Amino acid sequence: MQFQVNFAHLHLLLNHIPVIGTIIGVCLFLLSFVGNNDDLRRSSLILFAVVALLTFPTFVSGFGAQANLIGQPGVSDTLMERHEGAAMLSFWFLEVTGALALAGLWQFHRSSRPARWNVLAVLLFSLVTVVLMARTGNTGGDIRHPEVWASQEAPLTEGAVGSILHFFEPAPEKFIHAMIFSKWETAFLMDLHFLGLALIVGTVGALDIRIMGFAKQLPIAPLHKFVPWALAGLAINAVTGMLVLIGMPVYYTFDAAFWLKMLALMLLGLNAAAFYLTDAFSRVEQVRAGEDASTSAKLLAASSLCLWFAVIILGRYIQSLQETIK
Amino acid sequence: MAAPALLSLIERSGLSTWIRETDSLFGFYFILLFHNIGLALAVGSSVFVGLRLLGVAPELPVEPLKRFFIIMWAGAWISAVSGVFLLIAYPTKALTNPVFYIKLTLVGIGVWIMIRIEHVVFGDTDLSEAVKMAKGKSLAGWSFVVWVSAITAGRLLAYTFRYLVYGHPG
Repeated sequence: MQFQVNFAHLHLLLNHIPVIGTIIGVCLFLLSFVGNNDDLRRSSLILFAVVALLTFPTFVSGFGAQANLIGQPGVSDTLMERHEGAAMLSFWFLEVTGALALAGLWQFHRSSRPARWNVLAVLLFSLVTVVLMARTGNTGGDIRHPEVWASQEAPLTEGAVGSILHFFEPAPEKFIHAMIFSKWETAFLMDLHFLGLALIVGTVGALDIRIMGFAKQLPIAPLHKFVPWALAGLAINAVTGMLVLIGMPVYYTFDAAFWLKMLALMLLGLNAAAFYLTDAFSRVEQVRAGEDASTSAKLLAASSLCLWFAVIILGRYIQSLQETIK
Repeated sequence: MAAPALLSLIERSGLSTWIRETDSLFGFYFILLFHNIGLALAVGSSVFVGLRLLGVAPELPVEPLKRFFIIMWAGAWISAVSGVFLLIAYPTKALTNPVFYIKLTLVGIGVWIMIRIEHVVFGDTDLSEAVKMAKGKSLAGWSFVVWVSAITAGRLLAYTFRYLVYGHPG
């Protein structure tokens, strides 16, 4: 079983999402301060969360694109490594922005508007992310677009801002070596990854099966209070999963099970959007003990449960489906 | 029969060899998948009930949570049965590793706490919610500690074994 994927093409297709998405998000967020517009603020938080989710495949496709380009004439390994370091830094800032946006959306739900600390934190992290994403986009463009270089030579020298940012960018090689040479680090991260999974399955699973009709004596609104625990599990798994991936990029990038798992996670995001952004959620919250949820809510809960199990199944098969992508 | 000879005999059996060596998607990783799903169901449900007993979402009635023990037990049995098949596949790897015995002990304690919560908190329907909570709080806390330790020990099995199969150091 072998699949052919052009990662360079996929990366080009996806890499505009974090760069342009964060700029639009910041513009909407800043505009929301004019007249304290809650709808605009909520929209920008949703956009940050969506962009943070879509940045996972964008980031990973970069490893595949790098493997496609290594050794090709006119492609500098140093420029690729600089772009990789810039992408790693901007990726984490964007993910923190996305997590803060989800916390803000939760506060919108609980107390009709986000807390002051959350607004300030989203503002700070999103502004820094825009700068870092611009740098990531620029360093990526330098790899294959000599028409944007200032001189005939590849732009290895940094400007003042570039030098400052480069100081904070991780060196990919060092990280990869740390992961390869310390099996205990990998063991610890994988252990946390399973604990995060148990937290998600226990809390989201309980909500899903109640919506589907199991343990109908439970009212749904208080069950929904377990969702922050699921988000904590998701955060643990996002961090541990990405750290292991950055340490062993080739192991994961050319694995069909890994990409299918990524697809299942994207579909879970879509499923959550369908649940929270339509009237399904507000109707489900009214369901009291002994009552049935609507059919549409039951379908969304069932698809959530199926997709989470797909994530577990595909995650388990990553080890045995290595090198199934060329 | 000496223990090493028994381990070798199990490893040379048709079932053990097939689980280890088949290219089928239904071999070793399929069984490992069920082991993980079982554990996720058992631990996930324990975490959910435990969080409630520790005070999360106080408006949620405790008594109906009894139904989640069906899922916990289903998960525990799936893990146990799949675990036996994994042991048949790699008996030397598991039984020569002290961490394996630590894991089994922790799983035993975890299941014992699960049974205690089922009986002490949910065994008497006449108990008030406040009494159920009071009785279940420390058990729920210990349940977390033990399950986290058991999962960690299980995870470490992949990194601490001395022999993969009989006569072949890992």
